[in-house]
Amino acid sequence: MTSLLNSIDTGHEDMIHDAEVDYYGLRLATCSSDHSVKVYDIKNGAHNLIDDLKGHFGPVWQIAWSHPMFGNLLASCSYDRKVIIWKETQGKWSKYYEYANHDSSVNSVQFAPAEFGLILACGSSDGSISILTYQSETNNWDAKKIQNAHTIGCNAVSWCPAITPEPAFDSNHVGPMQKRLVSGGCDNLVKIWKEEDDKWVEEKKLEVHSDWVRDVAWAPSVGLSRHTVASCSQDRRVVIWTSEDCQSWSSNILQTFDDVVWNVSWSLNGNILAVSGGDNKISLWKQNLDGAWKCISDVTKGQATNNEQRAL
Amino acid sequence: MALRWNSEFYMAMEHRDLQANAMALNNTGTYVLLAGRRYIAIRNLDDNDVDNIKKFPRQSKYDVGAAEWNHTDYNSDLCVISSNQRLEVLTWRSGELTQTHSLRAHTRVITDLNWHRTDPHLLASSSVDTFIHLWDLRDSRRPTSSLSAIAEASQVRWNYVNPHILATAHDGDIKLWDNRKGTAPVLYLSAHLAKIHGLDWNPNIESQLATSSQDNTVKFFDINNPKKAEYVLNTNAPVWRARFTPFGNGLVTVVVPQLRRGENSLLLWNTANRATPVHTFVGHRDVVLEFEWRKQKGGDIDFQLVTWSKDQSLLVWRIEPFLQKLCGHEPDESKDLDSDDIFESVEIPNKLSQKSQALQQEFSLLNLQIPKMDVLKMDLVKRFCTVCAKTNNFLVLLQVSFPTAYPHGVPPTFQVLQDSSIDDSTSAKLLQTLTHIAQQRVLKNRTCLEPCLRHMVATLEQLASDLNDKRRYDSPYFEPPNLFGAYNEDAYIPFPRTSGAKFCSVSTLVCFGRPTVSRRFATKMDSSTPRALSALGSVFSSKRPSDTITISSFYYQTQRNRPKHINTAHNLFRPQVVLYDTSELFYVNKQLAGKYILDGDVGTLCKYNGNEAARVGRWDLVQAWTLAELVSGPQQAEEDMHCNPFGTQLMKFLIEHYASKTDIQMAAMLSCVFGKEHEHTNRKQSLKSLLSPGTGGSPYHTIPPADVVADGWVFPLLRSARSNSLDNLRIEDNSIVPLKVNTTTSLYEYYKQAYAEILHRWDLLYERVEILKYMCVPGEIHKGVEFLSDCQHCLEPSRNCRCAACKKLSLNCVVCHISVRGSSNCCLVCGHGGHTIHMQQWFSSYEMCPSGCGCRCLIETGTVLSP
Repeated sequence: MTSLLNSIDTGHEDMIHDAEVDYYGLRLATCSSDHSVKVYDIKNGAHNLIDDLKGHFGPVWQIAWSHPMFGNLLASCSYDRKVIIWKETQGKWSKYYEYANHDSSVNSVQFAPAEFGLILACGSSDGSISILTYQSETNNWDAKKIQNAHTIGCNAVSWCPAITPEPAFDSNHVGPMQKRLVSGGCDNLVKIWKEEDDKWVEEKKLEVHSDWVRDVAWAPSVGLSRHTVASCSQDRRVVIWTSEDCQSWSSNILQTFDDVVWNVSWSLNGNILAVSGGDNKISLWKQNLDGAWKCISDVTKGQATNNEQRAL
Repeated sequence: MALRWNSEFYMAMEHRDLQANAMALNNTGTYVLLAGRRYIAIRNLDDNDVDNIKKFPRQSKYDVGAAEWNHTDYNSDLCVISSNQRLEVLTWRSGELTQTHSLRAHTRVITDLNWHRTDPHLLASSSVDTFIHLWDLRDSRRPTSSLSAIAEASQVRWNYVNPHILATAHDGDIKLWDNRKGTAPVLYLSAHLAKIHGLDWNPNIESQLATSSQDNTVKFFDINNPKKAEYVLNTNAPVWRARFTPFGNGLVTVVVPQLRRGENSLLLWNTANRATPVHTFVGHRDVVLEFEWRKQKGGDIDFQLVTWSKDQSLLVWRIEPFLQKLCGHEPDESKDLDSDDIFESVEIPNKLSQKSQALQQEFSLLNLQIPKMDVLKMDLVKRFCTVCAKTNNFLVLLQVSFPTAYPHGVPPTFQVLQDSSIDDSTSAKLLQTLTHIAQQRVLKNRTCLEPCLRHMVATLEQLASDLNDKRRYDSPYFEPPNLFGAYNEDAYIPFPRTSGAKFCSVSTLVCFGRPTVSRRFATKMDSSTPRALSALGSVFSSKRPSDTITISSFYYQTQRNRPKHINTAHNLFRPQVVLYDTSELFYVNKQLAGKYILDGDVGTLCKYNGNEAARVGRWDLVQAWTLAELVSGPQQAEEDMHCNPFGTQLMKFLIEHYASKTDIQMAAMLSCVFGKEHEHTNRKQSLKSLLSPGTGGSPYHTIPPADVVADGWVFPLLRSARSNSLDNLRIEDNSIVPLKVNTTTSLYEYYKQAYAEILHRWDLLYERVEILKYMCVPGEIHKGVEFLSDCQHCLEPSRNCRCAACKKLSLNCVVCHISVRGSSNCCLVCGHGGHTIHMQQWFSSYEMCPSGCGCRCLIETGTVLSP
């Protein structure tokens, strides 16, 4: 059973395109076509508007919270080709950094796992992916760009989790952790990238979707030495990709939905996937012990129709 | 349609219905031919009448792939176009276009064609069918020779200088042919890993070839040295065509049309300076499909570039002498192009007339109608201008000075003049942003005065409105009334999401969506959700061209059409975000996390935790805890039961089970308890071996190491068994742990770490630290301020209690004069210190340093640490 926790009337003047709660679950950020980003305090069921962030000159597509060890940072990306990082200092939000080096709409932003430092990945319709790394020595952001990551445009980026039950802990092997990214784009491809000697190189190209890939999500490890990535597409399908070593990937089509699929999101434990799309419906999927994916609930616009079975 | 004049280009023609995708210029540069599926059009470029176009309908179901006019004077009225597998040779004579030859031999679609540079009858064509056919128009029945290439050919180009050489592109490779030796290519070049889109020979250097590719590069090859590219030009997008300029060592590149990337797809480069383009041609509203150089007329100093774009407009660009100069061309010294050295360095123009030309142009083009701003002075000779901006409360006088190299990589300098009424910090901020904008523009060799001035006005207005209303500002410049469609690449921006769900924090599911009302209307529309943002424009363009287009209106369109309900749309439309608590879906339990303990011996803590689980109704966990208790239970009764393989195995399976069920909490808790057990075991084992070396330890410790080598095996036990002095107790303890780290342990480490993160998100910091104590490897490496002390014996800095250099204990307690092993505290000012407990006792009654140095340690250290 899921229970309603809070319902917030955002007061946005146009459609909302993304909403995310921070690390501790205390604050909510939303972004909208009305060019604004709003931050709410949602502690203990409250919903007070903390700030209304204006600085974009176009619809804001996506937002991302940073890990609190870097302070309260919020990244937003917009149709106006800009990425803005907002920072809270003593209760006041202000623009902290603006990145304007994309030639088209920026569609996706995501902070890297905190273990790698303060790093932001941005995917844009100009086909490139930017990796912005904060340099604490110089108090500057260093930008690296993967040019032409996806022909026509990149729609989504997602980081590989830093803590994996992989040989990182093995006996005396304490090397730098491997940074990886997954991205999806208008070339119908899902691509895995890794950082090698300061450069981002394409590690693998995953080809199953027959239309634009709209979202990708790298699952947190579930305690199995395995990588799992979910991708969804305009072709109305959600694909679950699994791999042992990031080299060979096997695909598994979750389902073909009634309308285009826009969003995939993993739970922190990595075992439940939330899927949502153009039909305004949300469904939750869980893998049973046999490895098959089952729909466990449907949340349609507020009315939660749960048919959740808990196998204990 | 009137001619649109601009200083840089003029529009020769705009025809929506042509739908042409091929363009060709004749050898005198007078006529341009545009060919599409339905029409072939010919326009005289010397004639300024825009409507003077001859259109010839074409009855074909195939598009025109390529078109080219014959290069020679002898056959200057001949022009060839390709249509699927066929080549059509057309003759343009006295205003009439007639087809004179039809060349058929290819079996698949023709990809490219090229007239011979000097022979008026010779023509080469390449096709997907892998053949390159050479045709002689005097015998048009069959090709005079056919080159077989195995792979499909995408481009074919004759060499400008050598009449026998021709190059073809095959995916990422280049083949060179000699038409005298038709059977096999004379040279094979592996040029790119990605597909080659374009190929061009240097018009002046026989052996130089440029290839443009999908991999964002243009490579230059010397065919006499084909192993490696001479040099490479990197761009930020796949290159469709790269062609040499007829002057200097310039190169024009164009982005792959399908990409429609940005507005500036046409760039001019100097091949000697490949970091940034020399010039960007801004004017087309869509991608450039084809471009060609017009033959320079006698006495004309400008070169002209003719471009045909997908926006169905034909532009003619003047390449002025200063741009030619940037490409390394010296028009005054010699008209002879051959003398130009390809590696000639770029010279900054140094004649006043030429260098101020760009500035003069910019000044004349500057829109003086910027609101709330006056241009006071513009001086071309001293190269500066002064402007005055007035908003409600501010008056700013700004002087902009332009260095001679501007705008080619050098920004102007800005200076706020004395009489301005803004404070220093604001003016500093203003100058910073202006310089930033200018820098970005001039890096692309673009002028920057107007954007800078507009930005300044916008910033000042923002400041003014900030004073009135803290956060609300609207700048008239940045907000176009209708944002969508402002850029032309909407077709490649995904249609925005209007509903979604995200798992956040530990178990919050954040949902947003369209209100149910809108959904009803949305489903009424027969089509499914569109793919790209451009769908918005197409829905509304017919109905309300001037109104604002927003995403919500896409879903409300039915409603808005009824005038009565215009306002209700906004009332109904209340974007909501709904948060669900999905913690019931997961096995981790916040309540239990706060209750669980890890202190005490294994048996009792299992029992306690089991009871806690029972209290919150997790009976499944009670069982597990009871099992864990049973496994660990006998340990206290009988000393050797901890080695029980059954118990160990059982615990392993339990942890594995919970991990596979993604119950990280239980897996981590059991890993800790299990780890705890091991710790006991280890300690006991080591103690046992220490205390009773005769019985529990090894018999080897008295034997010299050399003797233990038996059959080539050195017994690994040796080392740990030999160390039996009490001093080494700690070291030995450490040495055992890493030995036990294996794959399962690394998994357990992961469970603990993952659970610690969940606890962190729950803000259960104490519990988190409890878990982290059980990590074998420190979870996070400390980054930040670290205090080191210099060893008092050898003065080397040491991090541990024992100095690494001299092996002595590095710090003596200033109170008891005994070396400090455990926790210590030192004064940051005088450096004296010792055992924490002694320091505490001392300073509870004294203020002065116990060493008698006279330092008031507490106060002094306090002032150092206070910010």
